[in-house]
Parts: sequence; C-alpha cells; structure tokens
Amino acid sequence: MIEINGKPYTGQEKIKSDLLTLNMGPQHPATHGVLRVEIKTDSEIIAQAIPHLGYLHRCFEKHVEHIDYRGVIPFVDRMDYLASMSMEWGYALTVEKMLGTEVPKRAEYLRVMIGELQRIASHLMFFGTYAIDLGAFSPFLYAFQDREDILRIFEELSGARLLYNYIWLGGVWNDVNDDQLKRIEAFCDKMEENLKKYHALVGENKIFISRTANVGVVSKEMAYEYGATGPVLRGSGVDWDLRKERPYGLYKELDFDVIKGEGLKGQVGDCWDRYYVRMLEMHESIKILRQCLDGIEEGSIMGKVPKVLKVPAGEVYMRTECPRGELGYHLISDGGKTPYRMKVKSSCYTHVSMLPEMAPGMMIADFVAAIGSIDIVLGEVDR
Amino acid sequence: MHKEIADFINSKVSGANACVVEAEVGDNLIFVEASSILEVCKNLKNSDYDMNVLQCVTGTDYEDRIEVSYIIASFTKNSEVIIKAKLPKTSSEATVAIDSVCSVWKSANFLERETYDMLGVVFTNHPDMRRILCPDDWEGYPLRKDYKVQEVYNDMVVDPPEKVNKADHNFFKEIMEKMGDEKKVAYSWKQEEPESAQ
Repeated sequence: MIEINGKPYTGQEKIKSDLLTLNMGPQHPATHGVLRVEIKTDSEIIAQAIPHLGYLHRCFEKHVEHIDYRGVIPFVDRMDYLASMSMEWGYALTVEKMLGTEVPKRAEYLRVMIGELQRIASHLMFFGTYAIDLGAFSPFLYAFQDREDILRIFEELSGARLLYNYIWLGGVWNDVNDDQLKRIEAFCDKMEENLKKYHALVGENKIFISRTANVGVVSKEMAYEYGATGPVLRGSGVDWDLRKERPYGLYKELDFDVIKGEGLKGQVGDCWDRYYVRMLEMHESIKILRQCLDGIEEGSIMGKVPKVLKVPAGEVYMRTECPRGELGYHLISDGGKTPYRMKVKSSCYTHVSMLPEMAPGMMIADFVAAIGSIDIVLGEVDR
Repeated sequence: MHKEIADFINSKVSGANACVVEAEVGDNLIFVEASSILEVCKNLKNSDYDMNVLQCVTGTDYEDRIEVSYIIASFTKNSEVIIKAKLPKTSSEATVAIDSVCSVWKSANFLERETYDMLGVVFTNHPDMRRILCPDDWEGYPLRKDYKVQEVYNDMVVDPPEKVNKADHNFFKEIMEKMGDEKKVAYSWKQEEPESAQ
C-alpha cells in the first residue's frame, strides 16, 4: 500500500492534477481471458478500477432451459474450461440429489480421483501463468509438462483433452484400467518431488516474494463481506473447506488437511499466501489420490437412472468445492424434461467484484499480481 | 431449522409474513414480503444465526410474477437458507422493483446487477445500477420466458438469412432423405431399435 504524508493512499488525494484513464484489456495477457478493467491512474498509482465483464457471455442459463438434463453436461464443461470435471461433478450431484440416485462405489472413487487430478491440473495452470505474470517464463513450461500427464489420462478416459463430458448422471462414462491406475500412482510419486522443487524455485525466490508479499491483502472480514470462497478465503486465514464442512462424494472417509494462509512472508491474506495455499493443496490432493488408489474396488460404474429423465418439481441449491472456489447450482424444476431455471453461482464472479476495493493505492504492476493471485477464468465469470 | 428462522424473522420484522414451504425433494424455502427484504437480511446477519455470506441473488420468471431468491449462508455456523420474495409483474417488458441489500453485504453489488441485467429487477438504492453481462444498450431481459432477441442491434441485422450456414442445417436432413427410413439413426454404431418415448 502506497503512503502519502504518512497516511495510506485512498484514491481521493491527488498527486497529479489529472487522472489518466487506462484500459487494461480485453486482450491484456495478464487478465487470463477477456476481462477489461478500466483503471484511473494518478501518476503510476491506481485511484480507481472498474471491471467490465461480458465479453464471453453466452447466456448458458437460457440455453439449458431448452435442453434435457443429460444434454446440459457439455454446456457445463464450457464454464470453467480449466476445471471441466469439477463443473460436471457439481451438476451431476445437483440432479442426483433431486432424483435420489445412488452412485456405485467404484464410480464415487473415480469421481474423487478425477476431481483431485483436475484440481492439480488447474493449480498447475495457476502456478505457470502466475509466474509468467510476474516475469518468470520457465515455471510455465515445467507446469505444462506435468499437466500433460494428467491430460493424457483424461484423454484416454473420456476422449477429449479439455471439455470432457465424462461424469454422467448416476456415475461416470468410462471405466479405468490397471495400467492407468499405475500411471496415476507414478504421477503422484513424481509430482510430490516436483512440487517441492517448484516451490523452492518460485515461492522462495526473493524477487517473487517482493512482488507478492504484502500486495493485494484481503482481510478475513473483507473476504466474508464479498463472499469469497476457495483458496482466496483460505488464503485470508479462514479454516473453511466444503470437502470437510459439508462432505459430498467420498470425502467423509478420506483423510486430508485444510490449508490456510498464515502470513509467512508478509500479512495474512496477501498474494503470496494465496499462492502458498494452492501449492500445499496440491500435496493434499496427492494424499487423497493415494488413499483412493488403495481403496478403489471392482464393480459397476453406472447407477440406475431412468431412460427418459424427469426431475420431480422442487428447488435445490448444491455447493461443491472446485479448484477456484465454491460452485453452486440453483436448480428449479417444474417436473418436466428440461430445467425450468438453472442459476450458477460462480466463485470467480464474486472474486472479480473484489477488484474495485483492492485496487486503490496499488501500483499498476502490483494490480497484475493481484488479478493473477485470485486466479479467475473468464468462462466462469461470464458464463 | 427453517421453522425457527421463520419465527425469528416474524418476531423481529413486523409485516415480513415469513412462511416456510416444506419441500418433498430438494431444499425448504422461506417466503417473505418483498417490502421487508432489507430488514430481514439485516436482522439475519446481525443475529445468532450469523449469516455472514451472501452466496447468490437470483430470480425466476413466472407468468404473473418474478421470484427473487437470496441464498444466504453462515460460514461460522455452517448453515444455509434460501429466502424468496414474490414481485408481481404488470407486463412482459416492464421492470419490477425491490430494495437493494448492498448495505448489508458488499457482494450484493455485482449479484444484483446481474439479476437486473438478466431479469429486469430494479434494486432501489443500489450504488451502480447498470447492465453487467450484456452491452449497455441491449434491449429486453434475456432470462424472462417470453424474451425475443432484437432483430436489429446497432444497425446490424441479427442472424441475417444470407449468413446462415444452410449446408450445416440441411446436413442431417439430407442424410435422412438418402437413407429413406426415418426411424433409423444415422451413423450409429449400435444396431438396435431406437427407443420409444414413454
């Protein structure tokens, strides 16, 4: 935070007589998509930031009102395209909750494994692009090398590398074979070593620390006020993870820790804390993966779902813990073949709304670090 | 739990008329009067229920009304409740109005703007009531059931017939004609009867 005459800068004081308007985006590489932030700068300090959304708006909520429940899954994929499996899982759980479907044990194990692999893939993407935002290029290549292993497994399972349509209502589409399980185990071993190496390379780097520590601080109160979830909330020192608090799937039986930011390099809730939470979360995901590899049992992968699917009339709100935060599906059914109304509560959307409060008093370069650290995907913001 | 919350609302806010709708499947709902929504939210946040996070503001369009839902959660008590308010609709184009809860939770700012953009619910006393996902000069509210896409937008014709890819549209139609049998599924790898609708 910049100080002027011993007081923190609020955006009201004027260093220069005029404010300069600067458009950051929609094609700015540091915005991770088509986000436009209109910033008013006072010399090189940001006085005001206004996010403009909607460049990727497809109104998916309108589309699904005309599509039957099974056909919605590919649409859901296209929201957070870096964590499609987690999006599908949330949707499947929502409809299954309404139908009362029981999912076979093997399918549950597969879902947890796929979900955690997706979390690692998504956090690796964050690690790579965040380093690029801050001027380090090589971590990006390392991250993509490891992400490739996960995508290969996903490709064999589902036939696609990015938009899978793999988790279906009642189970999963395709079974996993022993060779793939062995490769997941080998990946866990490799990843554990690599993560330590990456953290030593980037997280403990002096330049990285000076760029991220004490920058973009989100206090606990502010995180609650803005409805922040996921790594952003945990980075602010809140012990909250839906997988622990409201367990779904098999998470009740699995043993893992909830990571929270402790302010090791600066204040609690700064950019470095959010980075650190994600790095440690990958270790926890590996821990979960190992338990699933031990526990997975033979059996069917698809539960009993009627061929013509009609969801009973009613409303449900289901939240799941996705890599970027909590994803909520609010489904309203009138008893027909298609959803009457479906609203998606996206975590990235609420995180973007924090930017106008975070920005005043930052240097422009720090703002890039702040946007990167909340890790938004514009497909999920605009839907 | 919903019964207790409804009783609590009725005891604190006069004229809220909170009533619980017990659901057979899914979640229970609490309906309140639209005029009292701000007081209800304030009281829920500053009470023992400690509803400190506004998860989601959204609306649903019905024939004669728009229902605005507030999904409110407590991260300290680990609870969650859906509060709904009914707003009667006069015509298909006209907007409806309800109080903004921006003064209670700051996250309401963007969520209410989205609801305005998609459903035409105006939130009074909102600091910045503009469209957010659609362009500022867009007409109509897309998530209303009787919404029609405007024919001309900024002097541009929407979906001009000469730009529609007719080859794509006719692709499956032509295959069907070639095959001669309407019931046969084109390019299916499974040799079975097409399932009859129940």
